[in-house]
Amino acid sequence: MRPADERYFERIEDRLDEAFDHAKRAKSRGADPKPEVEIPVARDMADRVENILGIDGVAERVRELDGRMSREEAALALVTDFVEGTVGDYESDAGKIEGAVRTAVALLTEGVVAAPIEGIDRVELLENDDGSRFVNVYYAGPIRSAGGTAQALSVLVADYARSLLGIEEFRPRDDEIERYAEEIGLYDAETGLQYTPKDKETKFIAEHMPIMLDGEATGDEEVSGFRDLERVDTNAARGGMCLVLAEGIALKAPKIQRYTRDLEEVSWPWLQDLIDGTIGADDGADDADGDEDDADGDGDDDASEAEAGPPRVEPSAKYLRDLIAGRPVFGHPSESGGFRLRYGRARNHGFATAGVHPATMHLVDDFLATGTQIKTERPGKAAGVVPVDTIEGPTVRLANGEVRRIDDPAEALEVRNGVEAILDLGEYLVNYGEFVENNHPLAPASYTVEWWEREFEATAADVQALRDDPRVDLADPTAAEAIEWATEFDCPLHPVYTYMWHDVSVDAVETLAAAVADGEPRVAESDGGYGAIRPRDDEGDADVLVIERTERLRRTLETLLVEHVASEEGIRIPDWRPLARSLGIPSERERAWTAADLSAAAREYDGGDNAIRAVNEVAPFTIRERAPTRIGNRMGRPEKSERRDLSPAVHTLYPIGESGGSQRDVGAAATARTDAGRGVVDVEVGRRACPDCGTDTHRTLCPDCRTHTEPVYECGSCGQFVDPDESGRVHCERCERDVTSVERRRLNVGERYREALETVGEREAAFDILKGVKGLTSANKTPEPMEKGVLRAKHDVSAFKDGTVRYDMTDLPVTAVRPEELDVTADDFRELGYETDIEGDPLRFDDQLVELKVQDIVLSDGAAQHLIRTADFVDDLLTEFYDLPAFYEVEQRKDLVGELVFGMAPHTSAAVVGRVVGFTSAAVGYAHPYFHAAKRRNCDGDEDCVMLLMDGLINFSREYLPNQRGGRMDAPLVMSSRIDPTEIDDEAHNMDVVRQYPREFYEATREMADPEDVDVEIAEASLGTDGEYHGFDHTHDTSDIALGPDLSAYKTLGSMMEKMDAQLNLARKLRAVDETDVAERVIEYHFLPDLIGNLRAFSRQETRCLDCGESYRRMPLSGDCRECGGRVNLTVHEGSVNKYMDTATEVAEEFGCRPYTKQRLEVLQKSLESVFQNDRNKPSRLDDFM
Amino acid sequence: MPLETPARIVRELARRGYNAEREAVTLLAGAADPATALDAAVESAPDDALRLTTDHVRSALSSADAASGTGGDDAAAAPPSADAIDPERPDAAADNTAVSTPPEKPKNSATESSSPVETKGSSELDTGSESGTATRQPQQPDVAGDITGRSTGTGEYGDFVSVFRDRYEKLSEQLRGRVNHRPASAIDDMPGGSDVAMIGLVNDVRSSANGHWIVELEDTTGTFPCLITKDRDIADLVDELLLDECVAVEGTLSDDAGIVFVDALHFPDVPRTHRPNTADRHVQAALVSDVHVGSQEFMADAWERFADWLHTDEAAAVEYLLLAGDMVEGVGVYPDQDEELDIVDIYDQYERFSEHLKAVPGDMEIVMIPGNHDAVRLAEPQPAFDEELRDIMSAHDARIVGNPSTVTVEGVSVLMYHGVSLDEVIAELPEGKASYDDPHRAMYHLLKKRHVAPKYGGHMRLAPEERDYLVIEDVPDIFHTGHVHKLGYGKYHNVLAVNSGCWQAQTAFQKSVNIDPDAGFAPIVDLDTLNLTVRKFA
Repeated sequence: MRPADERYFERIEDRLDEAFDHAKRAKSRGADPKPEVEIPVARDMADRVENILGIDGVAERVRELDGRMSREEAALALVTDFVEGTVGDYESDAGKIEGAVRTAVALLTEGVVAAPIEGIDRVELLENDDGSRFVNVYYAGPIRSAGGTAQALSVLVADYARSLLGIEEFRPRDDEIERYAEEIGLYDAETGLQYTPKDKETKFIAEHMPIMLDGEATGDEEVSGFRDLERVDTNAARGGMCLVLAEGIALKAPKIQRYTRDLEEVSWPWLQDLIDGTIGADDGADDADGDEDDADGDGDDDASEAEAGPPRVEPSAKYLRDLIAGRPVFGHPSESGGFRLRYGRARNHGFATAGVHPATMHLVDDFLATGTQIKTERPGKAAGVVPVDTIEGPTVRLANGEVRRIDDPAEALEVRNGVEAILDLGEYLVNYGEFVENNHPLAPASYTVEWWEREFEATAADVQALRDDPRVDLADPTAAEAIEWATEFDCPLHPVYTYMWHDVSVDAVETLAAAVADGEPRVAESDGGYGAIRPRDDEGDADVLVIERTERLRRTLETLLVEHVASEEGIRIPDWRPLARSLGIPSERERAWTAADLSAAAREYDGGDNAIRAVNEVAPFTIRERAPTRIGNRMGRPEKSERRDLSPAVHTLYPIGESGGSQRDVGAAATARTDAGRGVVDVEVGRRACPDCGTDTHRTLCPDCRTHTEPVYECGSCGQFVDPDESGRVHCERCERDVTSVERRRLNVGERYREALETVGEREAAFDILKGVKGLTSANKTPEPMEKGVLRAKHDVSAFKDGTVRYDMTDLPVTAVRPEELDVTADDFRELGYETDIEGDPLRFDDQLVELKVQDIVLSDGAAQHLIRTADFVDDLLTEFYDLPAFYEVEQRKDLVGELVFGMAPHTSAAVVGRVVGFTSAAVGYAHPYFHAAKRRNCDGDEDCVMLLMDGLINFSREYLPNQRGGRMDAPLVMSSRIDPTEIDDEAHNMDVVRQYPREFYEATREMADPEDVDVEIAEASLGTDGEYHGFDHTHDTSDIALGPDLSAYKTLGSMMEKMDAQLNLARKLRAVDETDVAERVIEYHFLPDLIGNLRAFSRQETRCLDCGESYRRMPLSGDCRECGGRVNLTVHEGSVNKYMDTATEVAEEFGCRPYTKQRLEVLQKSLESVFQNDRNKPSRLDDFM
Repeated sequence: MPLETPARIVRELARRGYNAEREAVTLLAGAADPATALDAAVESAPDDALRLTTDHVRSALSSADAASGTGGDDAAAAPPSADAIDPERPDAAADNTAVSTPPEKPKNSATESSSPVETKGSSELDTGSESGTATRQPQQPDVAGDITGRSTGTGEYGDFVSVFRDRYEKLSEQLRGRVNHRPASAIDDMPGGSDVAMIGLVNDVRSSANGHWIVELEDTTGTFPCLITKDRDIADLVDELLLDECVAVEGTLSDDAGIVFVDALHFPDVPRTHRPNTADRHVQAALVSDVHVGSQEFMADAWERFADWLHTDEAAAVEYLLLAGDMVEGVGVYPDQDEELDIVDIYDQYERFSEHLKAVPGDMEIVMIPGNHDAVRLAEPQPAFDEELRDIMSAHDARIVGNPSTVTVEGVSVLMYHGVSLDEVIAELPEGKASYDDPHRAMYHLLKKRHVAPKYGGHMRLAPEERDYLVIEDVPDIFHTGHVHKLGYGKYHNVLAVNSGCWQAQTAFQKSVNIDPDAGFAPIVDLDTLNLTVRKFA
């Protein structure tokens, strides 16, 4: 670590300590469930693991092992410790295995996610049919958050412990094996799996698995075949088990094998069969491999035979599955006109993101905004969209006949209304690391300036001199320069003048060549009034070529992406000379070739549909494939930047029963008349007692002597008082049951409400409404002091289930920023400890690019506003309730700069401390990729929350957490004060950190090489070195990290219908999209399931009383509510069933969907009529009267 | 196309738009060259004839004979496949089913029936021409309890209430003679220790902490909990209870008057003394279902053999064909179904089904109800096919009615119900009481409950109507269902319960959930004795 880094962390920790001291003083007043701060600071991963698991001694042992071996090996080494009893205090074999398994999962998830505590319910020993014992691991849904590797390893660890303890292997019965197969299928259909093993694979695994995988039922749908098995206590799918078997064992077999090889005691020879894919594989290996092998076999004449077509990746339509109405498709798989793959990493990019030009964002009718998730064809499955304006924008055809590339978002907005067709979506920036992370073979690269420059440098040209020449723009040369460089230095033609020859047929090129040869050059000045496209070179041969106007030529030029204007007199092409040269026309009025002159290889390349070879034969220079890889995608989730409110919102975790009505209005409950009296409610709360005066109360602070009270645990069965043991469990030994302090009590809400108002000195008029909860869900049902609620209501913030105030944002990465774009100054940055820009120059100006530090985050405007309110709330709370000085005193937004927050992702239990450095108008949370990875998030559309530090410290309590599966997820059980790059999600280590990719890289993409075989530095290289916290360089800049629309149209458009209309309208405009397919998919995946589902729901629905809310499984025979005599009504009405019927039918008709789809709609339409219309009284149509 | 078999002749005639008398078909089949004879017969039939009669054929045959005498025959049409109709070699025909299926074919394929078939392939011509004894003379079936055209529900809350009230009224009627019913509200006011009886719909069944059962019954005045202790004999019956069925209990009110301790539990049930009606002549009905035309697994060959068999003498008494739903595989029944369809177009599926139906002798009476794969609403009761589909299936002038319907033929009432609720019964009841291997036992429970689909809110979909069409008001003589693709039959209190198999081979889905269907069976019931014979055609 460099001294600068040390200073940075110390700064953060100093502020953290300051806050801690303040919070400790507040907590010591005893008004909270515990008199101390309940979020322990973890120095490292070992601390977190111990804190989350609550097993003493783990941290020490982990630290011991950590330096010597990998984390996986450490997990296995710890098994021995557990078995021997040197770690953990377990007496039973089952307990030892459970401890080992939990610890392994915690280690592999860096002690961040909740899987080890929530995802493994228990381990037990059961009996085989021969009477021997076997191990059963009982998984629960939250095991999902552990990820495949940790899931798989948990099984291995259990097996290792099993063999050390001398317990027999599990011998499944035949029906149990079959059950696994059916259940995996059911779970996949119901919830979906990343990887679904074939039935044969599942059965194979089930047969050989030495321990039993079991778990809780997670869904309602039940298996129909293998039911009521003796050793499987549910007929529903066991989600946790399914995940472990499918996404763990089946998917990660190679990884597990690595460890089984090193363990003598464990032998899973059957893994090899899984890895070889011989189980259940019937469709053979992928064809690509086969072809290559053949080519090698042929030997020398590989030029003609092996290369019948260009190198291409296989199109994949997976991302189009489950298309949703209102979320548009931007490109069909690998379709010409779709996004063009460009390699590189922008400064706000990497880590499961996709760089898109802001002009594209506007031209796809604003459906894409910063942070919008897209489901993509490759390299991953999904990505978060980031604006990058240093790549090429989209090409459009305007209503006036002009075809133009748009590289400026302002221009995009200007012409948007006149866009007839989007011929090309522009470039799509993906960084090298993305391919590494997804283990995806490199896809052939677009020919771009970066690559061209590398090639140009390799020639005899003095590139540096040209770079220094102010009259030359290497990125955007004139036509003359481009031709000169290409011919003089034998360098491929500059990408600016390289067209999509691979997308047009040899025939089309021949026709075009003839037309160009016959074309007539004209001086550009006479071109007035034909749109904005202009020759780049205003001085030299500033003329345009006018060629004959035919549909075919237009289509060819549009596919090639040659800018032109189709006017009455012909098609006018500026900068036409490189095009003419490429077409083999050496000078004006000269026709050089016909198809017959081409070699057979060129003519028949890719079946004649790809003219790249043809032009290379006729042109005087080399022409590279401009965009060999197109990437299809569609919109996934919209971006998010929203406050997190429970539904209904909760201001105070204080129970008021039914008194507050459906709004849970504490004010109303305070005056409501109940059986018990005015403002009095009967609710369950935890019983507590004052250690000083012995007062029996439910409150955390003794109402008599203001002392902090302690919970009282009385066994409900024997009446004995029980004390909690060391681990906090309260267990009655005599009755063998867990004990809580909960009892029914009468609370005078009215009195408490008035007291709370008085304590904090507020009147009821300070807020609209104060919302409580109906009842508490925590184990001991400890209520929160109502004062906190009053102040939350006053400041319009609401509490999450754990008492904290949260704000959700979509995660995006950024490694370098300009103070200017963050609405702060260079001064502010210097105060934060930033000293130099990325070049090492002193930081002086607001627009200098600065490398972001790892724990620094950028807030969205909405988040900033919400945190200001939270800060005000916290200050009020400190001064009015805890009688302490205010901590924040925020007056303007800038005051938040430098303040600390918690970042916290769903399914995790550890918060990460972050520091606010600025603000952005994009509706996302930009932060260093390491910060996101520390929370175990990537940026493919994931979202998580921030909390204000002091709010978390004083308002969080474990006592509030719901006592149910998953209750401890999403709660800051521990916090990491500094990020250790070796302890974060290793996905972030795959991010590349270089300024440019080598020429060999681009060449390797054409071989579709394995990304690991290419030499580009990734973050992994600096781990454990001094440089691990900095040096994250990028290949592409962007002028602002918040370009393009601030919000996706999906969020600004109103109804679902509007969104869908916009979606289909866009499908029509995009050349890369087949609108019929989109319509078909929307009907198939959205409308039909909705119609069918609602019709089904209608005919088996529950009913509910309109007056008291009581619900009935079936309509009462009396017709009225049995509780209150009130009106009972349906929960699913005709309107909600057939809301999409007409639209679906219209769309099917308008877009020419398949008869199958139309008939399904017809059959449904008839069903709806049959159910909702009276045969004897059919509604008459208007025609009947005409 | 060779036209040796009656079925093929019927199909060919149907293709040309004719129905035919049974004798006419026999005559044609027996002709030296059936194809030419058929051409001639059609030629000679008057333009407005819809039904080809014996007279038409006779006149055509005689003129054809005359014509062949003059040697004007086309060479190609002349020699029929001698092999196929060689009466001396019946066994050879069996191995040669693809080429042709002579009338005696079923002898070789029928498994469960002993069926000694006379090898009189061509002699049929003689019997046919001698007299009209082989002509079927089915009666018009009488249909009751059919929703078709009477669906008045509009999906309002009130419609749902009406259905359940009607159910309660009809079924409590059945039980009222057996117990002295007190309304729930009245029981509420009774003192502890009183003897009480109550009739109600099962609202809830749960077990108490110590393993007893609490059954909550509901009548029109409210609900009342009833306790069935685990050590009583009747505790076993709790396993059979389905939510929303109607039962009666007798017992004693607890001391605090809060619960009834149940001594006896009654189901509406079929009286043990039930004596079924029978036909007064020897006549048979074929009970089939789940044809699934359009599916890649539809067993066209088996169906063809079945149709052929119906044209034989052996089947002369089979005058009725009762189809219990799922005529076609349908569209959109499950996700990505189109990938497994042989015929993707739903109307084409019915067209093809209609073609297959035409192979059945024209003088049989056919009744059909829809199933869950058919293009009608899924919610029960299901109305019959609409006009458009009826038009497609008009060939036989079949009776097309709703699901369920009670069809009375020859005095014997047959309750036809497709059987979706069987899934629920099998899922809810313990394996010993109902399983896919013995679907008829699941049917017994429905008879006992006197309701074809009692449980609301599960897999069953209910269309709210004014009345509950799913109540079994009158005890049928035969209960006929399908849906689960398993063959099963037996008698429950003298009611013959038949779950016919199907005509669809095992599908990928069935394979995945371990269901091995009974495909290609036709249960044939003697309406005069209610004896059942199962014939196999697969």
